[in-house]
Amino acid sequence: MRITLQDFTKRFDGASVIDRLNLTIADGEMLALLGPSGCGKTTTLLSISGIHRIDGGAILFDEHDVAALPAQKRNVGVVFQNYALYPHMTAFENIAFPLQVRGVGSAETTRRVKDIARLTHIEPYLTRRPGQLSGGQQQRVALARALVRQPDVLLLDEPLANLDTKLRLEMRSEIRRIQRETGITAILVTHDQVEAMSMCDRIAIMDKGAILQTAAPAEMYRAPASRFVAGFLGSPPIVFVDGVAGGDGTLACDGGLTLPLPSRLKGLAAGRKISLGVRPEHFGTSGDARLSGTIGLVEPQGRETLFDVRLRGDVVLRSVQPARDDLRGGETVSWPLDVENLLAFDAATGAAL
Amino acid sequence: MAETTAALRALRPDTASRPAGGTRALEEPEATPRRRTSRLGLLMLAPTLLLLGVFFLVPAVLTGIFAFTTMSSATGISGGAYVFTANRLDALAGSGVPPETITELRTERAVVDAAGLAAAAKAGVDERFLADIKATLLGQSFAGPRDFKRALQALPNHPRRIFELKQAMEPFSHAILNTRFATRDQAAAAIRSVAPDIEPAVLDRLLSASYTGWVWTSENFVRLLTQPQTLRLCLNTVFYVAVTLGFSVAISLFLALATFYLPRRTATAFSALWLLPKITPVVLYAILWKWFTWEGGFLPILAGHLGLPAFNYMKGSVPTAWTIVIMVNGFVGASIGMILLTSALRAIPVQQLWASEVDGASRWQQVRRIILPQLKWPILFFTIYQAMSLMSSYEQIWLTTDGGPGNTTDVWALEAFRVALFDYTGNLRYGLGAAMALILVAVGLIVSLLLLRLFNFSDLVEQPRIET
Amino acid sequence: MRSRNFSSWPVVLILVAISLPILVMYAWLVIDSFTDTPPGALLPDEVTLSHWRFLIDPSVTGNVWASTLYTLIFVASVAAVVVSLSATAGYALSRLNLPCRRFFLAGIMVMHAFPAVTLIIGAFLVLQFAGLYNSLAGVIAIKAGMILPLGVWIMKGFYDTVPWEIEMAGVQDGASRFTVWRRLVLPQVWPGIIALSILSGIETWGEYVLPRVLAPTTDFPVLSVFLNEVKVPDSVNYNFNLFKSVGLFYTLPILVLFVFFQNRLMTIFGAGTKG
Repeated sequence: MRITLQDFTKRFDGASVIDRLNLTIADGEMLALLGPSGCGKTTTLLSISGIHRIDGGAILFDEHDVAALPAQKRNVGVVFQNYALYPHMTAFENIAFPLQVRGVGSAETTRRVKDIARLTHIEPYLTRRPGQLSGGQQQRVALARALVRQPDVLLLDEPLANLDTKLRLEMRSEIRRIQRETGITAILVTHDQVEAMSMCDRIAIMDKGAILQTAAPAEMYRAPASRFVAGFLGSPPIVFVDGVAGGDGTLACDGGLTLPLPSRLKGLAAGRKISLGVRPEHFGTSGDARLSGTIGLVEPQGRETLFDVRLRGDVVLRSVQPARDDLRGGETVSWPLDVENLLAFDAATGAAL
Repeated sequence: MAETTAALRALRPDTASRPAGGTRALEEPEATPRRRTSRLGLLMLAPTLLLLGVFFLVPAVLTGIFAFTTMSSATGISGGAYVFTANRLDALAGSGVPPETITELRTERAVVDAAGLAAAAKAGVDERFLADIKATLLGQSFAGPRDFKRALQALPNHPRRIFELKQAMEPFSHAILNTRFATRDQAAAAIRSVAPDIEPAVLDRLLSASYTGWVWTSENFVRLLTQPQTLRLCLNTVFYVAVTLGFSVAISLFLALATFYLPRRTATAFSALWLLPKITPVVLYAILWKWFTWEGGFLPILAGHLGLPAFNYMKGSVPTAWTIVIMVNGFVGASIGMILLTSALRAIPVQQLWASEVDGASRWQQVRRIILPQLKWPILFFTIYQAMSLMSSYEQIWLTTDGGPGNTTDVWALEAFRVALFDYTGNLRYGLGAAMALILVAVGLIVSLLLLRLFNFSDLVEQPRIET
Repeated sequence: MRSRNFSSWPVVLILVAISLPILVMYAWLVIDSFTDTPPGALLPDEVTLSHWRFLIDPSVTGNVWASTLYTLIFVASVAAVVVSLSATAGYALSRLNLPCRRFFLAGIMVMHAFPAVTLIIGAFLVLQFAGLYNSLAGVIAIKAGMILPLGVWIMKGFYDTVPWEIEMAGVQDGASRFTVWRRLVLPQVWPGIIALSILSGIETWGEYVLPRVLAPTTDFPVLSVFLNEVKVPDSVNYNFNLFKSVGLFYTLPILVLFVFFQNRLMTIFGAGTKG
């Protein structure tokens, strides 16, 4: 089912939280609503689900506006961050509850619960209470409960936040697998860019109640629409260097450091203040320009090693390289910079150049 | 329970006023929260509102209303009638009512009219006799029963027996004395029938003097302000509340701190023991204190064995009576206080105490510098709350000293209760009692509102998050 | 934290000293009901069950069993009214959209701190007008009304701790708010229901003034009134032993709760001590 938000507006106690937001999620697509906490992504989710009433605009399921319908009458499945399993019911009863409420017969209920349990791999645990299940199992039960009544759309509110790292990795692919197998339209709300990038077809990045950019993960990473988007995606994060365009394809930074600009920005007017974004993988591995500086902090991360390199004028760039332990803090290095892949933003507006 | 600790943590003065919604609220003043009223919510709340309305709010309002009446067990509570008794008429003599009017009212007269004849026929008076009366006496009236009797005896068919004659006279009698008139108009008509020229002012006076029901008055408050007993009661109440409160706070604080630091087993034993005064039914608790201090009870016998003065400590002397009143109530207060302060103590993060011990603080410094400052609000809350309860409670005193010896340990609440509901003379003065209670109700209301302020009420009220 | 840097025995000694009246009273409550003590002595010299004859012989002080039954009806009715109304009203105030919700909450809180006992004169008049004076029903209504604000407040507190997400999930699963309350939320607040039942039960079991004043001449007095009016023929002084046996009998249910729930009672009353 295709979900469309048209001029969706939400206020709390008169204060506008989301103002005329527009978004379309294609049928069978999995979209991530990514943003820092308080950006309005959970509010959006709860408005689609019908928990919140909206103060303007429309929410279309295909062609049908559901804005006036209460949560009970919208066919929406939700998985909450804390799973919200009913603690006094077994896993089976939890999953069967939506069917019972709809008056589905008991034989049919059992059949459908069994089916969904098979899909979510929780058949052995159906007789247990939530308190006797591990975090990952609870997550699967919550998914099964949300899916058992074949909803039009599946909403996931920070589904992995309560899991430890290892389980998170496992559930990431599990949720994606289940979504693919059922072909359901899904919206994932998260503040974790890795989650968003690894699980979703598209990402809508939000800040302060507005969507800044909607794009496929790779595209968004490669060509962020703004400084905020660039800073939000990528781990370890991008480093910004502020400076003034020299008019000759270079950037003059505060401490006397001069950096080359990508060729597409050659025509930039001299004196324009910009913010240059350098991702760690674009410094220290390959490229035309070379920059020399002193190594600061060295962070071995197993497969990779992360370096902080202090350049002239106290500008610190970050570099990520395949694991190496031949360098110590204090040593001077001269490393290549991949100029063409640098990102540039207007210093005042943050818009990509 | 989580609720208490949350409540206690909320016990901070409402200092910082909350920012109003955010800046964007100012740009959109028209924005009204679109919240649908939950019909289920109204349905679920309705029985509670009904019960509280009828059995909590209405009593409170009635207390306020009836404080301004003369209502008592003599007047009844549901209105009255108009009756002239001999006593009332005597009292009216010399108060501006003409003596002849009073005499008229006393006079029992007889009038032979159609209504009287019909009533007599109904009462079974001999028909021939009635025919006689109708024929000869219809339209006449007699100034007294004696004249009427003589006239009747002159009739040919009059009954021989005095009893039957009296029975026949009754329907014609028009006495005002000792007759109940249900309404003011009936009473006025009756007076006019004997004194047609009565002045309206005199009529009014007569009518209000004859009214048996309650009337509006501010007399109760005037009386409370002028009678010397009021001062005594006030002083007693203040003394009682202040000393009992001090006793309770001191003991409960000591209990809470001691059980906090003592080894678990000892602590549990003592806190369980001190739960008893709170959970023991009040009557049994009072009886136990009676046994403890009454003559022939534990303490007097013990004192006797030790050669100390032994008598009924509860009622035998004023100082011992006060001591017992204070202890009886103070123990219950200490019980409540211990419960409250213990839960407040447990809410203090234990890391703070570890940190202070690492810093080398002694036990006493720990209590003074770390624990007591954090118990400030719970103690204040307990003090205010307990002061209000003590001020309005009378059960324990009523069941132990009953205000004695004499009325030395009588307090305001007990006196209000006795005046209105438990007077030994049998005349219950609801109006006066309500006036006394109204003062307690007013103080209680003010203090409850004060507590509400201290509670930081807004923190406890969260908007529902499901909006549909 | 309970370390050894202070010696506890002086504190224990003071504790014992201030607790002595309670210790003595309760020890002798039990001792005296099973023994006889010669006049002027502190310790008994004879074990006897004669003080318990009132259980089988109504001529001693009256029909104690009828009073017990009456008391049970009183307590059960008050607890039932308080618990059922608090469970519904508490939920409505905690979770549902109501007009004037803040006002209701503030009102309940004020009533809950308010010394309800000052209302007894007004309550007496209400019962007179309603024709419920001198009936158990009237006393039940007044007592329930007095505990109810506390009950609503306690239950609201318990509902507040149930995660919103449980309700959101229920609504999303298609259940009405009533079904959500009945099947999903109510099972989470059982501890609150039990605590409130015990609390209102103990409060009502000990209630004396209301039945004494508002229903003074019913056929069977509740046990508190029964106990206070234990009359012993041909005895000028109190027969404390009889008083104590009746009193012990009367307070037995509470002592049972006390023994079994000792620690929990503390927290229950913590919630119940208006605050």
